[in-house]
Amino acid sequence: METYTPTPSAHLDRALTRIAAVLAALVLALALAAPADAMEAVRCTGRPNSDNDPTVIMGATQSRITFETAIEEGEGVSRLVLTVPEGTTFGTDDLSLTLLTGDDLLTRTKVEYRMSVDGQDIVFDFSPAITQAGHLSIMIDDVYFPQNGGEMQVAASYTDATGEHELDDIPPISVQGISTAESIAHWLDEQPWVEAWNSNRFLHLFFDPTLIVTSFPVVLNGFFTSIAVVAISFPLAIPLALLLATMRLSKFVLWRGIATTYVNFMRGTPLFLQIYVAFFGLPLAGLSLPKFPLGVIVLMLNSGAYMCEIFRAGILSIDKGQTEAARSLGMGRLQTMIYIVLPQMFRNVIPNLTNEFITLYKDSSLLAAVGIMELVMYARTIVASTGSITPYIVAAFFYLIITLPLSKVTRHLEERMRTHSGRKRARARKAAVKEG
Amino acid sequence: MAETEQRQQAAAGAGSAAGEEPILSIRHLSKRFGSLEVLKDISFDVRKGEVVVVLGPSGSGKSTMLRCLNRLEEPTSGEIIFEGDDICQKGVDVNDVRKRMGMVFQQFNLFPHLDALHNVMIAQMKVLKRDRAEAERIAHAELERVGLAEREDHYPDELSGGQQQRVAIARALAMDPHVMLFDEGTSALDPELVRGVLDVMRELAQGGMTMIVVTHEMSFARDVADRVVFMDGGVIEEQGAPEQIFEHPRSERTRAFLGEIAN
Repeated sequence: METYTPTPSAHLDRALTRIAAVLAALVLALALAAPADAMEAVRCTGRPNSDNDPTVIMGATQSRITFETAIEEGEGVSRLVLTVPEGTTFGTDDLSLTLLTGDDLLTRTKVEYRMSVDGQDIVFDFSPAITQAGHLSIMIDDVYFPQNGGEMQVAASYTDATGEHELDDIPPISVQGISTAESIAHWLDEQPWVEAWNSNRFLHLFFDPTLIVTSFPVVLNGFFTSIAVVAISFPLAIPLALLLATMRLSKFVLWRGIATTYVNFMRGTPLFLQIYVAFFGLPLAGLSLPKFPLGVIVLMLNSGAYMCEIFRAGILSIDKGQTEAARSLGMGRLQTMIYIVLPQMFRNVIPNLTNEFITLYKDSSLLAAVGIMELVMYARTIVASTGSITPYIVAAFFYLIITLPLSKVTRHLEERMRTHSGRKRARARKAAVKEG
Repeated sequence: MAETEQRQQAAAGAGSAAGEEPILSIRHLSKRFGSLEVLKDISFDVRKGEVVVVLGPSGSGKSTMLRCLNRLEEPTSGEIIFEGDDICQKGVDVNDVRKRMGMVFQQFNLFPHLDALHNVMIAQMKVLKRDRAEAERIAHAELERVGLAEREDHYPDELSGGQQQRVAIARALAMDPHVMLFDEGTSALDPELVRGVLDVMRELAQGGMTMIVVTHEMSFARDVADRVVFMDGGVIEEQGAPEQIFEHPRSERTRAFLGEIAN
């Protein structure tokens, strides 16, 4: 037999229901008792001015703010102050203010007002005061949020018969931060001359100003990679080349043979092929290295062969009398090489070495073929996504800023080798120091 | 000045007076380049402190002979006994021999990447392992001896030929050589620059340095030489005191050569 016995939980349920009812009544009573606000924020939104994605508001990009409030009947709103967030710039030339009234809020009602701007504040003085119920919407059309973005809080206060009141609960506007390049690009996008420029097919394809600006920071990453590749492989190639040059000048057939074969092979085959062999052949042979070091090694091995010939010619160009003089003083073969021949040789081959550096820097672009993220590779990714050639032109710029000054340096050095103005100046300095 | 002379005397050994015993003894020296026989059975001695001037027409093998003495050329056969050792033997440390035998070249062969001072310093530091301060002190002294103290921070191409040759002499002297070899040291010089170099060589000779001088300077040979060796066609045609060679040459060839020079 079962008898109904109320469980403890059922008791609790009933008690809770009762408490909730009381609370609800209390809240309702409080709400009714409180004096109604004359104005209430309804919405505050941002929107980009361009045709881009309307849901994304970006910093430093022309946008607009739409601010909407509900006005209660009666109180009479005489003044409204909108405070635009710090760091945000705005223009009020195209600002629009609309009051919609009626039950369905479809009646546009004329509002007489005077507007003034004080710092970040936009002050609207209404005369006569607005007494009608309705929605007041203000659109600031020419707004630039800070570049870094963030949550932008618009503040507002209004004045009615009872005094000045803050408007609470204004929703913040989420602004996405953008890079300087993007901000410049956005600015460029708005310029009429850019539009005119881009109307030329050729200019648009190769020199799109906006794309130049946006691809610059991206391709810059590749620039660092390319510089790193060369900055490591070039110095490493020097000892290799010295060794090869010494071997090629050796009395011993075996050394000569090894070095000559190596140099002929490296100079006689395309670097592109050597890169392929290293990158696809070595892994098959069970030897796998990370891309970057492998790329550096291949360039070093290749450049070493070319440099070997530079050094060999450089050493041969040193007068035999130099070696004889050094040896006649009792200096050994190695000492003579290190202290007498090589210093003169290096000074003579600096222009050639600079040229070799330029060549190596340019050739590092071949590493794009095996996926090393260098200059060309970065440019290619943007080309692939935009269909414009402009990023390649940007990449070209990054080659030229190294190669042009260096070839100038080469010319200068060649010039200086013929004169000794540098030396005389150095001595004059030294003499001046001595006297002083 | 005083210091360089002291060092020179120390280098020349205790018996600074010209001794009887030869410091350098060349025996049956031959040299061929392929089928060309440049030196044929050359023999002569050089005593300590002696100044030997080698004369002869160009192509007579004078320079080759001199270059064999410190093995810049490898002799084909023969012996070169220097301070008691045959330096042509296998296993001889040729660098050690060259330390004791200074050489001055026709083309100076200064190191163009170093200034005068460092030209004189480098071998001292690398070969004799002198420290920088000592090498510099000695280089100063040697450059002063050749009258170029003022020019020590000049690079070779900023010096006249005569100045370069004097730096080259200082460079060799800084190594405290026991013998100095001069390979036509004035032949590449403009006439007005010859004198300065000859003066330095003359002073060196008076200081007791053992010298073998290949030259065309007859006045130098006449005034300074203890002995003149006349070479022609790879052989020593005649040798003797300068008065004897110049006044009473025995060989027909010597006479012809001297006659040509006189004209």
